[in-house]
Amino acid sequence: MALVHKLLNGTYILRKCPKPSVASCPFLGTRFADYCSSSLEKPVAAPGKASSQRKTEGNLEGHHQREVALDITSPEDKPEVSFDKAIKEEIKDHFRRLKDDIVNHWIGPEGRPLHEVLMEQAKVVWQFRGKEDLDKWIVTSDKTIGGRSEVFLKMGRSNQSALLYGTLSSEAPQDGESGRSGYCAMISKIPRGPFERKRFYDWSQFNTLYLRVRGDGRPWMVNIREDTDIIQRKDQMYSYFMFTRGGPYWQEVKIPFSKFFFSNQGRIRDAQYQLLLDKISSIGFTLADKVDGPFFLEIDFIGVFTDPAHTEEFAYENSPELNPRLFK
Amino acid sequence: MNPFIYIIVLMTLILSTTIVTTSSHWLFAWIGLEMNTMAIIPIMMKNPSPRATEASTKYFLTQTTASALLMLAIIINLMYSGQWTIMKVLNPTASTLMTTALAIKLGLSPFHFWVPEVTQGIPLSAGLILLTWQKLAPISILYQISPSVNLHLMLTMSMLSILIGGWAGLNQTQLRKIMAYSSITHMGWMTTILPYNPTLTLLNLMIYIMMTFAMFMLLILNSTTTTLSLTQTWNMMPTITILIMLMLLSMGGLPPLTGFMPKWMIIQELTKNDILTLPTLMTLTALLNLYFYMRLAYSTTLTLFPSINNMKMKWQFYPTKRMTLLPTAIVLSTMLLPITPMLSILM
Repeated sequence: MALVHKLLNGTYILRKCPKPSVASCPFLGTRFADYCSSSLEKPVAAPGKASSQRKTEGNLEGHHQREVALDITSPEDKPEVSFDKAIKEEIKDHFRRLKDDIVNHWIGPEGRPLHEVLMEQAKVVWQFRGKEDLDKWIVTSDKTIGGRSEVFLKMGRSNQSALLYGTLSSEAPQDGESGRSGYCAMISKIPRGPFERKRFYDWSQFNTLYLRVRGDGRPWMVNIREDTDIIQRKDQMYSYFMFTRGGPYWQEVKIPFSKFFFSNQGRIRDAQYQLLLDKISSIGFTLADKVDGPFFLEIDFIGVFTDPAHTEEFAYENSPELNPRLFK
Repeated sequence: MNPFIYIIVLMTLILSTTIVTTSSHWLFAWIGLEMNTMAIIPIMMKNPSPRATEASTKYFLTQTTASALLMLAIIINLMYSGQWTIMKVLNPTASTLMTTALAIKLGLSPFHFWVPEVTQGIPLSAGLILLTWQKLAPISILYQISPSVNLHLMLTMSMLSILIGGWAGLNQTQLRKIMAYSSITHMGWMTTILPYNPTLTLLNLMIYIMMTFAMFMLLILNSTTTTLSLTQTWNMMPTITILIMLMLLSMGGLPPLTGFMPKWMIIQELTKNDILTLPTLMTLTALLNLYFYMRLAYSTTLTLFPSINNMKMKWQFYPTKRMTLLPTAIVLSTMLLPITPMLSILM
């Protein structure tokens, strides 16, 4: 899957590229080899010499059957794609990350010495200072189920924050089965190691989530998911609410992890469990307040820290009446 | 859990291991292993939570896979030998499959991935049973088929276990995972000597169980599951803090503590069999384990671990947990080295 993703999104651009053929694409299989050899056939130009635009126009006039490059590129630059090279680069990148992983393992957890990790009182986990920070997030809305909400994520002013904005629409999709709709969400991608191996965050030394945000007065839900290997747990998450103030001033939101409540498949469960912080997979922000209209949320950074004054372990207790199974 | 049900589950656990260790019929040994797997699941789920459910699921899946593999090996053995008695397995396929199945049950590398995940997801008391009592049944079967165990396979798995147990345990801050990797390493030491002197395997197992039991009891007493929380025990229970250090050093195999005895005996036995490279590699990779034990001892006992001012002291509450066998276990885990000659004769 990683290779398919790379093929579709991250092609390697060369000045000179031999025409790809089936023989030179051993890893791709028949389908991709056909793709290599047919649809991207472009006139090969010597680098930096002839004007590709003029040549393309000349080709258009003279040879109608020949494929024409539709992407607009600089006249000096004729990009050629090479999937073979892209795959080799991808494999090299993964081995490089594996090597870094082994070296970092020798240094300490997360590539830092153990005493440094143990003495850490506060840590910035996500911050938004460039486009590459936005790549660590996914935005989604009820458009996936046929709704009308829209959500976008871009860098804020001076590249010092991220701006999540869009329009919420609680109009239910006309598919005959959905009765309700209207949500937008921003979810962090699961951290990956070499060969797309799933990683997780260990926040067991910290007890509070710290967010520096600026909103428009709407209530958001902060969702944390744990790392899991079994598919039945993919819908389980721990949530809490974040009420934004609106206005021009930044807001520091501190949510102790003991306050997060457990929900499964979107429903808050009677049986509540504590959020265990040693295997955190992702964090997300969801807006679903049933108020149609535009929204925005500006995020400076997301961090975790230890609040020594907060000694509560878990804010909720289970009731023997609601959950006798837990008290058997 | 209802105390009556809990007692029944514990009795089933004890009975299952007894069935496996005393049985001479393959089918009954297999039944005992299955009962063992089933009996520990409710103990793991004593405090239900999504994490405990996941740990129990992973444990169940790996153990039943191993049991299925073992049953296949038993049937192949039955096909070739025509009998169900547990004895030297002459068919190499059956022997290899049995070794693999029992390695999965024990958590030997490369089938070790479930051990830290499962140990981390369950309470400390369940982790104690998982890493001590649950080793008895597979080791007893291995002991009985030790003459026919595939030597190369066994030594490869043992060496890998010692290496991976040491390497992967290096950067752990969760104590249960540290104990899991310690278990993988000790299993590696035990199974290395199995083809040469199975008696030493049993000696190593007994001492390992004592040490792990004592260590887990100390962790349960302090209710600590992370390295950071262990560094704050110095003012609550200073004596316990010193004992934690002694236990860690014993587990690392440092003389004059008990933990040195099995390592010494194993190296001596391997050397007597004209094998020099293997014990050298084992000793060197055991240093990895010793490193993270020492680091724990250093941060817990030997130094005042840095912390912010208002977290320095904790209230010294009177301990309410009853630790019946703790003093016995600690004495046995630290002071048995002088009686090594007697123990070898007894085993």
